[in-house]
Amino acid sequence: MPIHWKPRFLWTLLVPILSIPRSLASETFEEELTIRALPDGKVASRFSFSTLLEGATPRNPQNLSAEDTSQHYTLFPLALGQILREYAVAEMHLTLNAGKWDYERWGYPDETDVGSGAELWAWMGDGAGATVDERWRGLRNALAGLFCASLGSLDELRTTSPAFSFAPHGGVPDAPLPLAIRHASMPSEHVCTENLTSFLKLLPCKSLSGIASLLNPHRLFDADWHGMGLHVAWLPDEGVQVRLTFQSVADPLRASLSKRDWSFASMFDRTIDRTCPSTASSRVIVALPLNEAYSIHPQPSSVEQGHAIFDLEGQNPPLDVSMQWAVDFDHAAVRPRSAEAPLSVRRTLQGSSQDLGRLSVFITNDGTADIQAAYLETMPWIVQFYLHTMTLRVDGVTRDDLIQNISYIPPIPHARAMTFQAVLALPARSTVHLSIDVRKAFLRYTEHPPDAQRGWDLPPAVLVPLGIGSGVERHGRRIYTPTLLVDLATPDFSMPYNVIIFSCTLVAYIFASVFNLLTRRFVVLHAELN
Amino acid sequence: MPPHIHPEGTTLRDPSKLFHQTDYIRRLIIASYWVIIILAIPLWWQTTSIERLSLPTSRVHAQAENKLRFPVHIKLESVQDASLPSALRHLLQDRIRRSPQAWKGLDVRVREVRDGQDVDAVEPADSYTIKADDGIPLVSQRQLTYPVRGGTLPILADALASLLVPPIDAHRVAQYSPRYRLAFTLLNEDAAAGKSISGWDISGAISRHLSPILSGLSVLHNFTIESQVQFHAPLAFSPTRLDKGYGLTPEDLTVFVNSAEWSLSSSVSNDPVLHFIVFIPSASRRPLQILDAHGLPSSSDAFLLPQWGGIVIYNPPPELDAHVQLPSSALNAVFSAFANQLLALLGVPGLPREMRTDASVLTGWQLDALLRRRALENAEGAQDTLESIVKLVDQIENMPVGQDVRGDVQDALTALDKMYASASASLNETLRQSADALTLASRAFFNPGMLALLYFPAEHNFAVYTPLFASAMIPLIAAAIREVSVWRKQRREAAQALE
Repeated sequence: MPIHWKPRFLWTLLVPILSIPRSLASETFEEELTIRALPDGKVASRFSFSTLLEGATPRNPQNLSAEDTSQHYTLFPLALGQILREYAVAEMHLTLNAGKWDYERWGYPDETDVGSGAELWAWMGDGAGATVDERWRGLRNALAGLFCASLGSLDELRTTSPAFSFAPHGGVPDAPLPLAIRHASMPSEHVCTENLTSFLKLLPCKSLSGIASLLNPHRLFDADWHGMGLHVAWLPDEGVQVRLTFQSVADPLRASLSKRDWSFASMFDRTIDRTCPSTASSRVIVALPLNEAYSIHPQPSSVEQGHAIFDLEGQNPPLDVSMQWAVDFDHAAVRPRSAEAPLSVRRTLQGSSQDLGRLSVFITNDGTADIQAAYLETMPWIVQFYLHTMTLRVDGVTRDDLIQNISYIPPIPHARAMTFQAVLALPARSTVHLSIDVRKAFLRYTEHPPDAQRGWDLPPAVLVPLGIGSGVERHGRRIYTPTLLVDLATPDFSMPYNVIIFSCTLVAYIFASVFNLLTRRFVVLHAELN
Repeated sequence: MPPHIHPEGTTLRDPSKLFHQTDYIRRLIIASYWVIIILAIPLWWQTTSIERLSLPTSRVHAQAENKLRFPVHIKLESVQDASLPSALRHLLQDRIRRSPQAWKGLDVRVREVRDGQDVDAVEPADSYTIKADDGIPLVSQRQLTYPVRGGTLPILADALASLLVPPIDAHRVAQYSPRYRLAFTLLNEDAAAGKSISGWDISGAISRHLSPILSGLSVLHNFTIESQVQFHAPLAFSPTRLDKGYGLTPEDLTVFVNSAEWSLSSSVSNDPVLHFIVFIPSASRRPLQILDAHGLPSSSDAFLLPQWGGIVIYNPPPELDAHVQLPSSALNAVFSAFANQLLALLGVPGLPREMRTDASVLTGWQLDALLRRRALENAEGAQDTLESIVKLVDQIENMPVGQDVRGDVQDALTALDKMYASASASLNETLRQSADALTLASRAFFNPGMLALLYFPAEHNFAVYTPLFASAMIPLIAAAIREVSVWRKQRREAAQALE
């Protein structure tokens, strides 16, 4: 009888006993809805549901091969907790956005990550038995299953490691291993109801009570812009925090040209009828207009710094917050650029050929001070940069001194994406024009997507202003450019059999002609004249 | 002007005198085409053929004939009457004859031990002892204390039958797996309706009620434990209204689990999950009771879904405050129900009703019976799977068989061999080998590489290639036939000329 076999099993028995301290860790759930009117008359709302697992730390990847402790959760979503433990993820951010966030008209978003389509980035401890890339693949596939999104296609062809622009939000655990980042984005991902359904399943009260009951897919997916996010971070003194966010930009002016009044009922077609019993705090925060006459209903619980705060505990259900303006909206008064976001980026891909093109980026600094900014491009290998053709111009004058610290990880065809990062100096009140020639790849037959003729979506570039903030937020918030669409040489996929048959026939014809010439017998016929 | 009119003075050359128009060269050209084609056939055959390694078919069939046999040694101790062992032997033989299916794989031997002196010199490792002693029958680790007398022998034989081959409801028992996930869920039907349960002391309850069972079963399975609390878990149907509260009919129980709305399952591993659910009805639907077939409330508040898990319905007392932890009395009741459900789902046999035990959780009798049954199941499963693979590969000629499939099949056969070798020595080892054999056989059976060309049949290839090959081959064949007929004609003419 093999004696060595038993101790392994006995060891697993200790696990439930060892896990007792972890399960005593308390969990708190807070929900918040922030609503603010945007300068152009639209209304931005941001739902934030955050669950804190107090005292918890991310799993040390060195212990991945060993048995994990039992996982007991009350408010924290178990399905997500399992994924985080299974792949020892220290921090991760997943966003699924639809539409283009208009920085010039709307200013900065409440949640930074607004790149179109799906974006996933994660920080994981490096150097353990299971490599970061293996765990990254597992994480992608697990989240794809959890959110019913095609995150599985965020594969090696789209994965990069832009550590600077995507610095961790939370703390870095005292693990002996350094953290490594993996980032991938999929601009062509369509955000849909099934993503929201699985998103809602992660909430303790689903969408049946509390603020989450306003998340009505029929209205949210009708908004001008909408996006959902999942943010997991380790806050050193608190624990592991999971934050689920949903942002949308509704347009009350769509229904009536002059009235920008809104209410829960008009924006979401729902009201808050019941409170969720498991929340520690549940608040609706409405930004109040500064120099305009308005009325807000019902009476807020408190008003702080120009924000009306409705505490769901103190309000009588059903709660239907509504806001009316005294005067009609004046479309002419909309200023095209808000002072809040001094930088704006325009990025285009020029050139009509399917072989070569030119990437052209215009970065405008409207502010009165010079700004340093880190510019990041993460391109799949299908678009390759000719770095020697890169030029920077300000008002037509070449200014190569404006670019520093270029770091470039070249793409590997069919295998790795490209990372290009540079620090740009953006002079005050001017536009910097960065241009670079690109080559478009010729793909293999099997590498084309099912809708090959549509073209390929390229991920947004990211601009991070440097040295703007102070303290922990040393750098400004990320600005995402709109995505691009590139047209690659595409074969005719509609009739492959016809193509095969035509070319086979041609080859057979040529073969037979040559063969006949080689083997034909020539004879002289003597025709009798007359 | 016709082309064959030549200017005066030029002589007309006979084309057949040209170098490339000689019969010999022309025939060489045609022959070289055919030679290349014939030489290319093996290459074409090799590049388009499917890798089909031969499977150890004869070993698989031979292995299928093998039957697992477990020796079961029963020692009778301190028996007064020397005829009792043989009488017991006969009674057991009689029972084996009556239900051979239940006793399948068991070789029962009864021996007598007198005054500590074993009649048989060889002492088997796992043997069971029956000690004759008056009093209430007592089951210890591998020992049974029983008042062995002539009159009680038939009852003893029945007791032995239910200890060695306990009756089990096979439909309930989850399929064997070396590792299970136990998922505990506290489900509030609607917490917002008030008086919900906000949490439970799950770790304490598990260590009190389940850990002894899990440690007792550690030779069979590993367990991963997880738990969650949900605050909104609507039912997919409306329970029947009763005079006082609501009721669940037996039909309702079959559709009780609302898997669309309850996020119970997780996808991080492939281990089978056993679910254990405490369901707290909404405040407006209390008390929720389980109804029997006659529509009357039954005394039980728990039910078991075969191979899936167990569910306990807990109606909080009306005096309970809103939003509290699950009271400890309720927690204990719930977890003792869970413990019973877990035993039933894992196929752990109970003890005969009239017997007491001094073992804390499981006796050696129960554990051995379970080990034997699981090993037999696994062995049969592995043999069946291996036979299916061989049959499938035989039937579908397009199915590739790679090195990994063959390796898995061979390893499974080796594990089966080891299992037979260890059957008389160690039950644990037998079970482990049988589990290995089953895992390997299933892995071979579900190998994705075997599906590779299943949907790319030869007809497709021909449909694509025919436009090329058919049209290229026609001139080749025509030229060959023409040349052969010319050559035969020339030979015939030459023969006639000789005559």
